[in-house]
Amino acid sequence: MPRAHHVGFIGLSLLLCGCRVSEPSPLERKVVVAAEHDFTVGNRSQKNPLPLTKQTLAAGKEAFGHYCVVCHGLDGQLTGIPFADRMSPPIPSLASKQVQDYSDGQLKWVIDNGLAPSGMPASKGTLSDEEIWSIVHFLRHLPAAGSLGEPDVYSH
Amino acid sequence: MKLKLTFPILMAALIATIACGRLMSHAQATPRRVEVVAKRFEFTPSEITLKKGEPVILVLTSKDVQHGLKLDAFNQVVIAKKGESSQVEFTPGEAGTFVAQCASFCGAGHGSMKLTVHVTE
Repeated sequence: MPRAHHVGFIGLSLLLCGCRVSEPSPLERKVVVAAEHDFTVGNRSQKNPLPLTKQTLAAGKEAFGHYCVVCHGLDGQLTGIPFADRMSPPIPSLASKQVQDYSDGQLKWVIDNGLAPSGMPASKGTLSDEEIWSIVHFLRHLPAAGSLGEPDVYSH
Repeated sequence: MKLKLTFPILMAALIATIACGRLMSHAQATPRRVEVVAKRFEFTPSEITLKKGEPVILVLTSKDVQHGLKLDAFNQVVIAKKGESSQVEFTPGEAGTFVAQCASFCGAGHGSMKLTVHVTE
């Protein structure tokens, strides 16, 4: 087999292996999370312009309920999400330190722009700024895990 | 004789004045009707002009999925179900330009579905 064919075969094999979803190693995860928190996710200093009120929290819960629950669960803690740990990287609980360590501004940035490498989509334009900021309030005051049940879409 | 005629004329004039006043005040209190049509992902018209202090009935009609209109400046929300109309009555108490947003999640362009509301003095 000519040398070029060997190289092509190895490259194709690597590519195919690379497509398969597998859990990132602890080191890989640590590096990516640190990079996201310190470098790639912007808007660290922006404060939430919406006051924290019952109405704002309710609005955040509602907006979250329309759009985010399919991947994050009604409680933001993956209750009932069948593929949560089958993605690469797995979807984190929004109550986890990994997520809660972001500033409010960074959470807004992540919702606006999405997050790579992950399945988190960019939602600017799909949700209004006000809805996103109200979701940020909701993320800081998540209900108890499992307390809201699972999204209807997985039980019908 | 002159007195006898003057009294009924004065009374008639008084009654007419009161009736006219009532009619006028009724006319002023009748809210203006403003119709807005919603469909993914726009409102038609995209801008409306209201008058400060003038009561208005805002009618929202959905041409496809459920939409809503949230006007924070005047604390108003109206939701129109799929293919239906719904209305809200209010009186703008402040002049300026305000932005109302779709209040019911309707898909990929929901966040940018806005209506500009001008309120003149």
